[in-house]
Amino acid sequence: MSKSLLIKLGLLVLAFALIPALLVGFDKGYYYQIATIAAIFMLLAASLHLVTGVAGLLHLGHAALYGVGAYVAAILGANHGIGFTLGLPLAGLSAAAIAFLVALPTMRLMSIYFAVATLGIGQMLYLVFLNWVGLTNGPNGVMLFSGINLFGLEIDSDLGIYYVVAGIVAISILVLNRLSHSYYGNALRSLREDDQCASAMGINVTVMKIQAFVISAFFAGIAGALWAYTTGYISPNDFHFSQSILILTMVVVGGLGSLPGVLIGALLLILLPEALRSVGDIRNIIVGVLMFSAILFLPKGLFGEVSALNFARRVLGQGWAAKKGEKGIGWK
Amino acid sequence: MLDPYILQQLAIGLSLGMIYALMAIGFTLIFGVLNVVNFAHGEVYTIGAFAGLMAISAFGPPLLVVLFIALAAGALAGFGLERMAFRPFRRFSDEASLKSRAMREATLMSSLAMSIIAREAMEMVFGSQFQTVDLAYLINKPIHIGPITIVNGDLIILGVTLLMLGGLQWLLKKSPIGLSIRAVSNNALGAKYCGINTDRTIIITFVIGSAMGALAGILVGLYYGAIFPSMGFTPGIKAFVAMVMGGLSSVPGAVISAIILGLSESLSTSFMPSVWSDMVAYAFLLLTLIFFPQGLFGARRERV
Repeated sequence: MSKSLLIKLGLLVLAFALIPALLVGFDKGYYYQIATIAAIFMLLAASLHLVTGVAGLLHLGHAALYGVGAYVAAILGANHGIGFTLGLPLAGLSAAAIAFLVALPTMRLMSIYFAVATLGIGQMLYLVFLNWVGLTNGPNGVMLFSGINLFGLEIDSDLGIYYVVAGIVAISILVLNRLSHSYYGNALRSLREDDQCASAMGINVTVMKIQAFVISAFFAGIAGALWAYTTGYISPNDFHFSQSILILTMVVVGGLGSLPGVLIGALLLILLPEALRSVGDIRNIIVGVLMFSAILFLPKGLFGEVSALNFARRVLGQGWAAKKGEKGIGWK
Repeated sequence: MLDPYILQQLAIGLSLGMIYALMAIGFTLIFGVLNVVNFAHGEVYTIGAFAGLMAISAFGPPLLVVLFIALAAGALAGFGLERMAFRPFRRFSDEASLKSRAMREATLMSSLAMSIIAREAMEMVFGSQFQTVDLAYLINKPIHIGPITIVNGDLIILGVTLLMLGGLQWLLKKSPIGLSIRAVSNNALGAKYCGINTDRTIIITFVIGSAMGALAGILVGLYYGAIFPSMGFTPGIKAFVAMVMGGLSSVPGAVISAIILGLSESLSTSFMPSVWSDMVAYAFLLLTLIFFPQGLFGARRERV
């Protein structure tokens, strides 16, 4: 127990003390930017992890749902004066609502057909972002000048923004962590392995899939709102198909079904291109090469699912540790 | 009689449909055999266009030679693609892993990764702008037939599509190699037990399908006069839609669906802005997936 507490504390210290200390030490806007982008993409990858890694649905339109969140937050903030405190949950909810509408008809499709349907829906949303000029300002994108205003508290320093983003991302990842390491997560994993069998065991396959899809879209919408507020400008190209692929690559490289692996994958794919910036604009090639070599040489990912589950169970004590005087009940 | 405007739109739609069909044929051939989606088909198409373009700017051969160069480049690309993105995942040839979802999705993602690498590499080499094509090679000289105007490229594309469709049907139904392709497509393991070299058959399928994709690329590039590294993305999706609508493994079905798609896109522009016409394809995709899971013309195949 003490060990698990230690690791949890260590991660918290890393996210909320060590990295900010480093950021303050270097004190360059560029590093703050990378840190917030990395945090946002960690949330995106973690939300896709729930659908693609845990529930096993290949989802190729995640960036579009993320875009819905970003556009809702930006339009509400820029045109209707609805600030961060209310805009953030609204962005998440509207992404979730769209995901629900999308999921109703498509969730019965089998693996590859589902992937294609999500690709189609992602492209449709992208076309809406690009062409509904009256609402989304078309290819010019939306500017969002209002800063982050959290419950009346104006946050405008780089460090403050980092803390807000890191806090929200940490809470969201905690929720996703509890979801994917629980009975619920196990039920989703059983769908991935064999949905007919899962259905025979009394799991309502379609409802579970829709739930996972909607929850993941909610967090993608949150990530979109964070993106809109931290960059202050969004345009349709931020939510193109290639972004969906980038997020998918994070999940695949990190390890399908492994939350810690997915977070590592997100960090790797954000930080590596930045570190290699001097070589030239080869970011997308790196994405492709990493994805290909991960599929070929590390089919389980950097941090495979089994070891990740063991890690979560042993080190983080995620819900498996028996209470004093009780017998361990295994998966909870 | 019909309004000349509608007739003109029909002619445009028909030629658009033929372009999609050209691409869908190769796509469907590969899907029908391997039961995997080849996401890199759009990049093969682009490679064909660039190979033709390089040939044109290097030594300006006659059009027919350009087309053959594109075919050869496509065949090579298909061979390389199969070797790199698909062969490594056929290490396990037992029935369970052939049919397993993980296996199919691994090749899906590896072809996706190859397509990103190829596209970005082309963007690095050629830049992401439109390439200029020698005007003498463009196939858009107008021909007037009664009230409507078409260009000679329409006729060329129509001819090539029919030729490819006919050739493919002949190949699949009459030739020994077609027999082995159909055998592998039906049951890969069974074909192997009967002494068919499945690896070789799969490679040949890839080579034929990719050569056709590359031919489509150079033809469309010359038709529109626009060759650029990401040109394969949208037609790739359209071809995919046509394949899904046509029932996945039926080449003629895919061609008919591609024509329906082209016609409805061009007719849709008469009552909504043309930027939305891509929406028609995606709407067709979703509607087909939801309401006609077997495709409009296809054989029965479990999909829901």
